[in-house]
Amino acid sequence: MKKYLETVKVLFKSQLAYRFDILMNIVFSITKILLAYVLWSAIYSSSEEIAGFTFNGMMSYYIISTFISQMNKSTSTGWQISAEIRQGLFSKYMVRPMSIFGYFSAHTAGVALFYISFNLAAAVLWTLLFGVNIALAAGFQNILLTVILVLLGLLFMMQLNYFIGILSFKFLDTGIFMMIKDNILEFVAGSFIPLALLSEKVIIVMKFFPFYYVSYLPTLLLMGRNGHEALQGVAVLTVWNLFFAVLNAITWKRLKVKYEGVGI
Amino acid sequence: MTVKKQLKILLMLLKMKLSRNMAFRLSFFGAFFVDGSLFLIQIILFHAIYSQTGSIGEWNRPQMLLFIGTFSLLNAVNMVLYFFGVITIPEKIKSGQMDLYITKPLNTLFHLSFENIDIGSAPLVPASLGIIWYAISEMDIPVTAGRLLGYIFLVLLMQILYYDMEVILRTLPFFFIQTASIERLEGELLGLCMKIPGTLFKGAFKALFYLILPYGIMATVPAQFFAGVLTPLGFVYSIVVVVAFTVFALSFFRFGLKNYKSASS
Repeated sequence: MKKYLETVKVLFKSQLAYRFDILMNIVFSITKILLAYVLWSAIYSSSEEIAGFTFNGMMSYYIISTFISQMNKSTSTGWQISAEIRQGLFSKYMVRPMSIFGYFSAHTAGVALFYISFNLAAAVLWTLLFGVNIALAAGFQNILLTVILVLLGLLFMMQLNYFIGILSFKFLDTGIFMMIKDNILEFVAGSFIPLALLSEKVIIVMKFFPFYYVSYLPTLLLMGRNGHEALQGVAVLTVWNLFFAVLNAITWKRLKVKYEGVGI
Repeated sequence: MTVKKQLKILLMLLKMKLSRNMAFRLSFFGAFFVDGSLFLIQIILFHAIYSQTGSIGEWNRPQMLLFIGTFSLLNAVNMVLYFFGVITIPEKIKSGQMDLYITKPLNTLFHLSFENIDIGSAPLVPASLGIIWYAISEMDIPVTAGRLLGYIFLVLLMQILYYDMEVILRTLPFFFIQTASIERLEGELLGLCMKIPGTLFKGAFKALFYLILPYGIMATVPAQFFAGVLTPLGFVYSIVVVVAFTVFALSFFRFGLKNYKSASS
């Protein structure tokens, strides 16, 4: 465990070298909030409430969900795994006396921990800039369940991106999979619009998949809504995490033998 | 250089690209699947929003669909013709590979722009036309020759503007080595303007997306024209913006080339 904690520490510290990236990360988080502000300002000019959200509630939803979804730093880890396999630079991870998935998880955790405070600062900044009265209404139980769901969600996203990354052993370039995954994720995780706007049948189907619980449900829990779905979310995410743990182990075992270590 | 000679070179570049593509067969239709999924999801999301409201600002459902279809078409032509060529410019400046392009008896920007024609993205064009056709069929307006020709004219203009914007941002590496953030900024702003019509922006953001980085007018103006809500001033303004940005893009690239210091750039 100590070696993984050391990896977290090293990655945490190394982020200080990329100060301009930190600033850009904060600046770019505005685009999602701006999109929501422009779009929903136009819609709410003729309606008071949509799908149970007031304008202030809707903006709170985007600010909180952007903060939660920005904790996920595993997408870049997936790209890194894919690129290093393709370029023949992955051998160094194979000879290290630690689990490769464990190493990349610690790597991602180090980066994510570093960015949390900056993402929180960005959320406060956008709250003040857009004049939003954040609709936080969670009790202790909801906050605890949110933390559990977010952690399980981050682990799931790590497993998913790791899975796509190691597919490079077979397909060499998995960039297409990553980009299609990102496009679909924006829809199914409720990044662009709250899933409450979709039909009831679609929502029922979505509840069987993990993406509903990664950032959408935690956001609603913090807003004091949908508390009755939290335990179901913990169960669904646990099952999907177990499924991907097995899938990743099998995929790794089968595909690593294809690696030649020369790159293209 | 004559048009005939340019087309011959274009065909030759296409053949070379196709043979290179055979090495990555899985990626052949990559851009089609990636961008196809992006616009498909956008349509689904707006369908969900319109189930809750009659209009977004002054945009009703068919008009919004026309906006999405128009942006999808602009993006599709961009992906097929020049996107994969233009995006390689910064790397070629940094690595010194630009030397190879400067020394060839061919217009440098033309060669760089069209050497990576992506046939795999071509299915996006009929898919976008399908969205546009469906949007028009849902609109309660007569389709006249004037309306159609005006729309096509504006789409062609905006295609040039799309190209200008890409070239301007990729010319910056002649002067600054690290421009990754500028490219990321382009991606974020383009993604924003791809999702909502420019008329919805107000104040400083309207000035930003109509004048400084005019992504806001790209699909908005042709869609507004077809819907019959574009003012004559708006029509003239879009022509002026495209002419100004085209002159600037070509001059800026030439100026960049003069500042090029080979591998030490």
